[in-house]
Amino acid sequence: MSEKKTFKTAARMKEIMQEYYAKGAAAKEKRIPVAWVTAIFPVELLYAAGIFPYYPENFGALASARKVADKLSRYAEAKGYAHDLCGYARCGIGDAYAEEHPVGEILKPDVTFCCNTQCGSLSKWFEVASRFYNVPYFLLDAPQILDQPEELATGYYVDQLKEMIAFLEEITGKPFDYDRLLEVLHLSNETCRLWNEILDTAAMKPAPFGFFDACFHMAPIVTMRGTREAVEYYQALKEEVDERIKEGKYAIPNERFKIYFDHIPLWPKLRWFSELFASHNSLVAVSQYTHSWAYSFDLERPLESLAENYTEEFVNRSFEHRLQLKMNFFRKYGVDGFVLFSNRSCKPTSLGLYDKRSVLSERTGLPGVVFDADMSDLRFFSEAQILARLEPFFEQLASSQ
Amino acid sequence: MSIEVLEVLKKTFADPGRQVKEWKQDTGGKAIGFLLTEVPEELIHAAGFFPFGICGGRARLEQAEAHLQSWACSYVRKGLAMAINGELDFLDGIIVPLTCDSTRLLPGIWKHNKPLPYMDSYRLPKQVERPSAKKYLFKELERIKYNLSAYRGKEITDEELKQSIRLYNSNRGLLRKLYNIHEHNPEAISNKDLYTVLGASMVIEREKLNRYLSELVATLEEQTKPPAGKKKTKLYISGTFINPPEVLDYLDESGGTVVGDDLKNGYRYIQDDVEEAGISPLESLVNRQLKKKPFAGYDVPSAPRRYNLVKASQQKKAQGVLFLHLKYCEPENYDYYDNLQALEQAGIPSMRIETEFGDTSLGQLQTRIHAFMEMVGGESNV
Ligand code: SF4
Ligand code: SF4
Repeated sequence: MSEKKTFKTAARMKEIMQEYYAKGAAAKEKRIPVAWVTAIFPVELLYAAGIFPYYPENFGALASARKVADKLSRYAEAKGYAHDLCGYARCGIGDAYAEEHPVGEILKPDVTFCCNTQCGSLSKWFEVASRFYNVPYFLLDAPQILDQPEELATGYYVDQLKEMIAFLEEITGKPFDYDRLLEVLHLSNETCRLWNEILDTAAMKPAPFGFFDACFHMAPIVTMRGTREAVEYYQALKEEVDERIKEGKYAIPNERFKIYFDHIPLWPKLRWFSELFASHNSLVAVSQYTHSWAYSFDLERPLESLAENYTEEFVNRSFEHRLQLKMNFFRKYGVDGFVLFSNRSCKPTSLGLYDKRSVLSERTGLPGVVFDADMSDLRFFSEAQILARLEPFFEQLASSQ
Repeated sequence: MSIEVLEVLKKTFADPGRQVKEWKQDTGGKAIGFLLTEVPEELIHAAGFFPFGICGGRARLEQAEAHLQSWACSYVRKGLAMAINGELDFLDGIIVPLTCDSTRLLPGIWKHNKPLPYMDSYRLPKQVERPSAKKYLFKELERIKYNLSAYRGKEITDEELKQSIRLYNSNRGLLRKLYNIHEHNPEAISNKDLYTVLGASMVIEREKLNRYLSELVATLEEQTKPPAGKKKTKLYISGTFINPPEVLDYLDESGGTVVGDDLKNGYRYIQDDVEEAGISPLESLVNRQLKKKPFAGYDVPSAPRRYNLVKASQQKKAQGVLFLHLKYCEPENYDYYDNLQALEQAGIPSMRIETEFGDTSLGQLQTRIHAFMEMVGGESNV
């Protein structure tokens, strides 16, 4: 992303994120409880309860993007946490023990809430944090969906949402406000709708917006969905994308190919990757990762709908279902090839990719490649190795047309 | 000491597939494998299938290399490698307990590379203290029971399930007796033999096992003389698996005796019985799971794992704790530092060893274990 390409909205994002962090810092004085939450979590309930939600994963992504994940990680490693645990967790645990805080200190929780739809790392990390900060820990347990969604899993989740509401009433000393929940759900719906409309423009050829733009603009959808600020932000971004379409401004100069990318980006190498793909006239158009925030809540049945949306995320689905989702994206965005990132920080998105690569090529005829690295830690990054994987892929792509 | 049944069990352990293959030939029955150790085997047994615990084999880890990253734990890599190289061809099915992200992803990869007629996962709850857990788990076990019934073509009856529960309780009781004999008189049965019997108990026909164990326990009880010779150094082992088995040799030769553990192929496998009377057998299975001590997959705020560890070590008068972790086992790794802190506060020395199935430098392992035994054993060892 060269300077002239940067979205005007980017400046607004810096502002609203700063406001968000300032709110977190001020929460303590105002006696608003600070809750740690996970990215795929029914945060709508916390907003409705007037609790401030803080995303330690976001802290990890920020530290990774600023290329200091290894520094923070070493503090955790000194205590015996292995360098192959999830990089976000290593950043968070490391920061608790760190003497320097290169990206500022992680916000200390008054309570931690975890939903394990995404992975088992978060629940272990949050357990560790709850012991360290000596605060209560609440788990929303999301059993894996084996085949088709079942009432068994969603029913269990609804029961737990009710338990969580009772717990929230205990923390806040106030009855839970269901009307407020509906407002928040409505705002979340709006945020997700706008976000996905923006993501969809990547299917245009050439496209005004791609995966690397999405990575840049995703912080509000992760941390602030359910708020008016997030809706306004994505309205502004949407308008800007529409303008670009009218003006004929595109995400990369000479788009010839569209690429599907799995999953999380390599935060410290975002620019390097975006330039590499652009230099091969390839637009990374879509990834399951950025498309995770595509919730649609039914206000008539809020708890059931929260349960469905938050348990049925791709990462909690079966091998075959996840293949189908990928192929749907291939079709919808008209991709010409796919790149799968085997991310040693993240087993739930990475295990299985070796086999999926060959299955996807067999079923779609598209060229594809897997490479290994870590989303946050440059100690596991080898430019030469990655290029050795990607260069032949780009050649294949070029010869396929 | 040579006791005939012990020799049979050792042979079974050395060649885990032998018994099940013979059984299948004789009875025409089916075998369902499971990964350790939460799976309610009683359900498999009640359906008339041979429950087979998958734990280590000849396959090389490289045989799974094209399908599973080298940073997945070696237990799941080994399991998959065994499936791929044909070492588990006698299995008609498998149930994987979803204890961590590696087990969560494994079934799909397994199915893709080595589909079996029967494949299921056991989704145990990761919170066990709220009422929702019990209601959910009952339905989850109902689901598994239904699937097993469907696979055999006939519903599992309460009577069948009760019978299996009785048999398993009896086997567990006998194994605990054996464990107890070892704890109080390590000369009677060595570390190595104790865990060999435990390992064999997962791959043998359970009715036969019952006879063997009864005989073994009776013989040992009769033979048992007051412990003679040097006092042994008491050790608690915490972690995932006894692996490699040579660890036990090194303990045996350096005067160490295991008095307690929380391992998947150790005491965790036998610690909890299922209530036999009163409630429905399925509900009894639910209760057993919920009252189990938390393992690395989750902690329980009211009875944290680290305190269990300290308490168990103190009760057993362990002089030290050996953490035996599998490399890349995330759940254990997340717990380690807090476990360590709790032990240090209680003044219990410990050492952590990371191993991999099929890939551990034995020489180094031996040296480290000897050194640790010397440190914690002090005079009792000389
Ligand atoms: S990166 Fe993967 S392992 Fe880490 S918190 Fe996210 S989903 Fe979990
Ligand atoms: S050893 Fe650890 S990582 Fe491996 S399957 Fe067991 S819990 Fe999972």
